[in-house]
Amino acid sequence: MTSLLSQINPGLLLIVVGFIGCLVPVQRVRQAMMVATPVIGVIMLALADRGTSLAVANVMGIDLILYKVDSLNFIFGLAFLIASFLNAIYALHTDDRLQDGMALAYAGAAVAATFAGDLMTLFIFWEITAVSSVFLILRAGTKAAYQASMRYLGIQVLSGVLLLDGLAYVYKANGTLTLDTLGSFTSFDDPGAKFIFAAFAIKAAFPFLHNWLQDAYPKATVVGAVVLSAFTTKLAVYAFARMFPGFEILIWIGAFMTVFPVFFAVIENDLRKVLSYSLNNQLGFMICAIGIGTPLAINGAAAHAFAHIIYKGLLFMSVGAVLYRVGTAKASELGGLYKSMPWTTLFCIIGAVSISAFPLFSGFVAKSMTMSAVATEGYVIVWAMLLFASAGVLEHSGIKIPYFTFFGHDSGKRVKEAPFNMLLAMGIASFICIAIALPAFVPGFGYNWLYDMLPCTATAPADVCLASGKEIKVYEPYTFDHILTQMQLLMLAVLAFMLLKRFGLYPPERPGTILDTDWLYRKPGYGLAKWCGTVWGKVGPTMTGVAGGISGKAFDRLEGVFSPQGRLARGGLTSSMAMWSAVLLGVVMLVVLIAR
Amino acid sequence: MTTPTERDANGRFIKNEADSTEINHGADDMHPVSKILFGWVENKRTPLALLVLVIVVCVGLFAVDVFHHRHEYLHFAEATGFYALWGFGAFALAVLSGWPLGKLLRRSEDYYGEADTVPNDVEDKQ
Repeated sequence: MTSLLSQINPGLLLIVVGFIGCLVPVQRVRQAMMVATPVIGVIMLALADRGTSLAVANVMGIDLILYKVDSLNFIFGLAFLIASFLNAIYALHTDDRLQDGMALAYAGAAVAATFAGDLMTLFIFWEITAVSSVFLILRAGTKAAYQASMRYLGIQVLSGVLLLDGLAYVYKANGTLTLDTLGSFTSFDDPGAKFIFAAFAIKAAFPFLHNWLQDAYPKATVVGAVVLSAFTTKLAVYAFARMFPGFEILIWIGAFMTVFPVFFAVIENDLRKVLSYSLNNQLGFMICAIGIGTPLAINGAAAHAFAHIIYKGLLFMSVGAVLYRVGTAKASELGGLYKSMPWTTLFCIIGAVSISAFPLFSGFVAKSMTMSAVATEGYVIVWAMLLFASAGVLEHSGIKIPYFTFFGHDSGKRVKEAPFNMLLAMGIASFICIAIALPAFVPGFGYNWLYDMLPCTATAPADVCLASGKEIKVYEPYTFDHILTQMQLLMLAVLAFMLLKRFGLYPPERPGTILDTDWLYRKPGYGLAKWCGTVWGKVGPTMTGVAGGISGKAFDRLEGVFSPQGRLARGGLTSSMAMWSAVLLGVVMLVVLIAR
Repeated sequence: MTTPTERDANGRFIKNEADSTEINHGADDMHPVSKILFGWVENKRTPLALLVLVIVVCVGLFAVDVFHHRHEYLHFAEATGFYALWGFGAFALAVLSGWPLGKLLRRSEDYYGEADTVPNDVEDKQ
């Protein structure tokens, strides 16, 4: 039994149970399945051997490696399973078969893709994440959500198609799709590299490809947004770490990604959208670290992804709880909720200080590795951008979310505290945010627990850690200088907030739609498509008429000449035909005679 | 708190929504846990006291920088108060940019057709 459990990709179990869950009508039975399966998944993962292909299937001559655990994908898979467990608890107050089942299947697809040992398996689960997650948006049941889900699905499927294109090139060039040391690319000239990069870039929400995220997540259901925040983008981060470590362009893309969402998050009113921009900003840190590609940086990306999945989920949960009780997540309509939702307030604050990277909270022990790696490699401008973004994170996720929701101007709304299951999920997430960040008073606990799981450890480093040729060193987050500088950065930023607020310089929260680059395809792009449709609708029939007329006339002419009743068939044809045949024969004979 | 009067088939009291709301909030409109955790927020002097506290902490952090030489990979970051000033400046820049950006980019809520409506799984819709 144990050996069987250790041979099956836990993601597959989640997918199967998820699909079955869609058919189970009894709420409590279904929810027990949803909560228990990720726990079994974690046990399966703990039992699995590292570094060997555990499940292989041969399909049409291609070896599909369905399950391969190593020190790079372990931490991502574990984070996905924990997130899936928390999401299941968070959803206990709802009775929605499709949402429950698809949330688990979506998590399962992300887990399965993480542990895929070849590109084809990765592609299959990559697509399942797209298809299963769209239901979490659709179940919101509004027209806006429906339209957003279709845009979301289109973009996600495009990512899958690009991945398929890329893997075809890889297969043609290498004859194998295995994701091992040879599996990662060395330059964009490698066959398929550009396609696969583009596929990952869409899912990681790179600048100008990011709009699907801010478009879809805030329109999803209360539970759906929490589920969505965990998987797709971090799967892409993992995929980049696996296949594109040390690509310098990622450093700059990542740095830009950390900075630009800060400005959008400041003016955005919908707090779930603010969190979506914040998600983008956090991904930037991870992408930048992968671009640096040193062991410290890869560890930074992995630790950041783990911590981020938990605290971002926590923030989405707290805003979701408010949305659930109050019926809106707009900053302009909220405020003063600490009076009626104290536990939610407390958990939201823990999420906020975690993402802001205050010492003793998870962001501090995770993000600092990336900052340190960037500084060590001497990228001055990038480092300055990340430092700016760190203050920006404090602005939108650290202060704006809790302040405008729970404090600030009292909206006068008095509601009940969030349902117990929501509080439980938030409580566990808060516990993890603190537990993985405490100084390691007891060896193996505190941040050591997180650091021991990182890909680049001296004992069992992942392949990607060796690529840069840099030495693997032990990182110490709690140094006096580090705590001092981080506190200086954050506390002075807090002071800036207080002064700006006191002097009325902080822009008020106003309802409205903030334009982003998706304006291009939602307004002019849509307009152009609509215009083309209209033009085609009018021109089409006319063109068909003209073409029909011309071809009809031509046919009539030909028929008039060549048909059995045509001019050539009328009297005189036989004699003239015989004469012309004789003339032609004569010409041919003459040519042959001269030619010889 | 009122005593529930309705009983279910097993004879247990049925708590209705209004009761549980009142259990949460009591007469003065505040959750009992809120009073413990965030009661201090209600005090009128709190905002000023917080500001003074933060200023004192900031001055303290700055003072440490004056007397303590930090070692950084990037040498310009060793300048006294570099992180403090960067944090203050970055935050102020991000927030103040909200004024022009808001004017430039904010449109009406139904700019893209139907405004974002509330999802179906909120409490009021169930």
